Amino acid sequence: MIIELFVLAILVLLSGTLFPLIAASLDRRSVRTISLSCIIVASVLLGVLSIMNLLSGESVFFTLYQPLPEFSFSFVLDRLASFFLLIIAVVSACVALYFTEYIEHITGSTRRNLLCSCTSLFILAMMLVVASANTLSFFLFWELMATSSFFLVMYEYSQLDPRKAGIFYFIMTQLSSLFVLVGIIVLYVMTGSFAFLPLTTVSAPLVTIAFLALFIGFSIKAGIIPFHKWLPYAHPASPSPVSALMSGVMLKIAVYGLVRFLLDVFTPDLWWGVLILAAGTASAVLGIIYALKEHDVKGMLAYSSIENIGIIFTGIGLSVIFTASNLPLLATLSLLGALFHSLNHAMFKSLLFLTAGSVVSATHTRNIEHMGGLARRMPVTSALFFVGAVSIAALPPLNGFASELLIFMSFFSSVAVMDPLFKVLLFICLALFALTSALSAACFVKAFGSIFLALPRSPESAAAREVPRAMLIGPGILAAACILLGVCALQIFAVVGFAVPLPDMLLVSLLLIGMAALTYAVLYFTASREVRVSETWGCGTLSQQASAEYSGHGFSEPLDIIFLSIYRTRTTNERVFFDQKNCIFKEGTGEIRLLKIFEEYLYRPIARQSMKAANTIARFQNGCLDTYLLYVFITVIALILFLGWFA
Amino acid sequence: MNLDFFVYLVINTLVVIAVSPLFVSLIKKVKAWTQGRQGPSVLQTYFTLVKLLKKEVIYSPNSSRIMRVTPLVTMAAILVAALFVPLVFVPEPVGGIGNIILFLYLLALARFFMALAGLDAGSSFGGMGSSREMSISSIIEPTTIIVFAALAFVFKTLNIFDMFALTAAAGSPATPTLILIGISLFIILIVETSRIPVDNPETHLELTMIHEGMILEQSGRNLALMELSAAVKMTVLMALLINLIVPFGLATTLSVAGILIAVIVLVVKGSILAGIIGLFESSMAKKRFFQLPSLFAMAFFFSTLIIIIEVFS
Repeated sequence: MIIELFVLAILVLLSGTLFPLIAASLDRRSVRTISLSCIIVASVLLGVLSIMNLLSGESVFFTLYQPLPEFSFSFVLDRLASFFLLIIAVVSACVALYFTEYIEHITGSTRRNLLCSCTSLFILAMMLVVASANTLSFFLFWELMATSSFFLVMYEYSQLDPRKAGIFYFIMTQLSSLFVLVGIIVLYVMTGSFAFLPLTTVSAPLVTIAFLALFIGFSIKAGIIPFHKWLPYAHPASPSPVSALMSGVMLKIAVYGLVRFLLDVFTPDLWWGVLILAAGTASAVLGIIYALKEHDVKGMLAYSSIENIGIIFTGIGLSVIFTASNLPLLATLSLLGALFHSLNHAMFKSLLFLTAGSVVSATHTRNIEHMGGLARRMPVTSALFFVGAVSIAALPPLNGFASELLIFMSFFSSVAVMDPLFKVLLFICLALFALTSALSAACFVKAFGSIFLALPRSPESAAAREVPRAMLIGPGILAAACILLGVCALQIFAVVGFAVPLPDMLLVSLLLIGMAALTYAVLYFTASREVRVSETWGCGTLSQQASAEYSGHGFSEPLDIIFLSIYRTRTTNERVFFDQKNCIFKEGTGEIRLLKIFEEYLYRPIARQSMKAANTIARFQNGCLDTYLLYVFITVIALILFLGWFA
Repeated sequence: MNLDFFVYLVINTLVVIAVSPLFVSLIKKVKAWTQGRQGPSVLQTYFTLVKLLKKEVIYSPNSSRIMRVTPLVTMAAILVAALFVPLVFVPEPVGGIGNIILFLYLLALARFFMALAGLDAGSSFGGMGSSREMSISSIIEPTTIIVFAALAFVFKTLNIFDMFALTAAAGSPATPTLILIGISLFIILIVETSRIPVDNPETHLELTMIHEGMILEQSGRNLALMELSAAVKMTVLMALLINLIVPFGLATTLSVAGILIAVIVLVVKGSILAGIIGLFESSMAKKRFFQLPSLFAMAFFFSTLIIIIEVFS
């Protein structure tokens, strides 16, 4: 049953990929709708099979195609794979639903058919990565996922920004694939097979190399600092539903890769956990601090994805540390926290990206400083975004809180059992983790406030209208999922068979509703019911001006100043004077620029060195036939000598 | 949910609503005395709340639904948070009520809505208050969580109910570690309830205000709810400190006499603490906003040191 559903989902997605390619020259809505419907159908199939599998807890193994005796395209659906398939299914279904309407509002005539086709292929690739039963097919589908997502980022290729972002993304994602490939090859050298099997040799240097290569590969894809730079470029450049898919799902595939290798292949050392924990904490804190500074709504969401991936890595790191120190209960708790946060992040981040897409298509700008007042103009969209904002700010009783609470609890319980030096490390990480979640609340107060509240700050924003219904249903399902996963967290864990020490959020939500109802009732009977809508105190002006209200930039200014040392600005100031003693000013320029630290001190130097190396090598290619013949001659001689000596 | 717990819900909510305006007035009274004034009556906050309930509500034409739901949500969140800290009677915890992290985040939920309401009307005063409140709450968060982690570490539990049951069973005086943690909790109390040197609850001047700025647009019954929820929040944090350091009088079984004694003891202990807060506020000036991070950093190092001492001993 499960195998048939899986194959059916593959076939439906393949037809969703091929159909718009066959009809590539037809600029019809129906073509795109059929392709996107294929995605929805496949997602539903995938969702059903993954829930069936999660509940039964069996692992299903099957081979679809065996091109070589040593290598086959075979798949395994265990609980871990089914869990990530569920993430793919839910997000893809909602994104495709949203896409059916959104795609008709963007430019690109027949190119939009290709967009549908690539989206379908992208989802297929992600699904196959997760289900792969051996490392080689894992890598092949990983590469397919990377390539298809590159085409999605390049959709608006005629503009400069997406082109730059696309190239940047392509290089980073290929780098990621390279590291993953190195890791897989090293593992193959050690075991002689491509299967996900536990290593027998424990801590040989080769194992460490394999782990580090895989860790870097997955970190690049997941956007862990300092490999994060592609996210804030790629997300604003691509269409919003694509961002939702990439941020909501593709980053989780990297998380899946890491978890799969850590659980099934390696026996992790303690320092691996410390490494993952440190990388996660750094990404979480820096990600949200950069997000606060960002005024491009999608750029801000991209940085916030970096933060959330950091939180997930923190959970994984804790789990590895506990496994290595023989605390299996705590290890399970923190791993559950990390996986639950992956699911939750997929829900609220795709919700936020989709609603941000609606806002951008209604206001024609991505700059939050030019929005404002949309809560009254787009009531449903604003309510949906609000649910996402509350979730991502980790506020009870929604889902972001439930998963962060699990990680908090494993931190709190761990300090009672680890040895003293580790306790200090864990306390510091805990403090930074708390800072992260408080800052993310500040960041989303700023985002929601600037986008939806107060007066519109541009004519486009004042003229914004609510988006069509299909663009509300998709995010609506995600918002419902956010509420359900938060309120019923304890019950959901119980159904899947894990006893977690979470508080009963259902009871807390009932208490919240009860208290609100009680307060309302008491006020209704005791207080005055008069309400008047009238101009309130506006600092002495006759009426409120949009230019006088607090802007997003103003909102984050105090935090900007507090974290000044992290933002690092460069001030340039050039002046020309009339006299020699520099008294009478003639003219000058001055600017304060935000330094892109990682780009300036890490990426650019590496790029420069690579260019230099490439130029050196390029000298061998001088276009002269004689030289090339010489190369061939030297190679042949060298081969003969080599074979003569060694073979 | 058993009967004990249901009785607890009713008693705790009623007590916290009844006593919190008293503590607010007491602090004002102490501050007035130190300035050589007579000050308002200790019942003044009750009168103010009743007066506000009788007034009409005015909404700005720019404001959205956020403005209308915020007072209700804030009050509900703070009242549920108040259930997490038993004031007079400690029952058996039910369904994770009393979880110290959830307590912290319920306060954050109220703050989130308040900050949005500050931005809603589009006046620069409200925005200024929201921005400062979110900044301050962000940078105090590491200290708060460290102190809570220290509590969890000392008591080996995450639940405030269990902590209180332990302190009530052990009786006074508290251990040295608890007193040190108590000092950190006092700093958190000052910051969370927007008092000098962090914020000035007395004024509406744009140079000083944080919390008052955020609720400047509220009026009538909504303002009454905001004022009352701020008072309840302060009382709950005070009770957390009191019941950890000087727990005597706290009832652990349900009996009318026990509860009555506990209420009287709570009022006495709360009044003393309110006096201390009033004296503390009178003894110093408000700090400049951008000097606050260094103050918080000090609080953070202090709390971390306590923990390190505790961890290595």
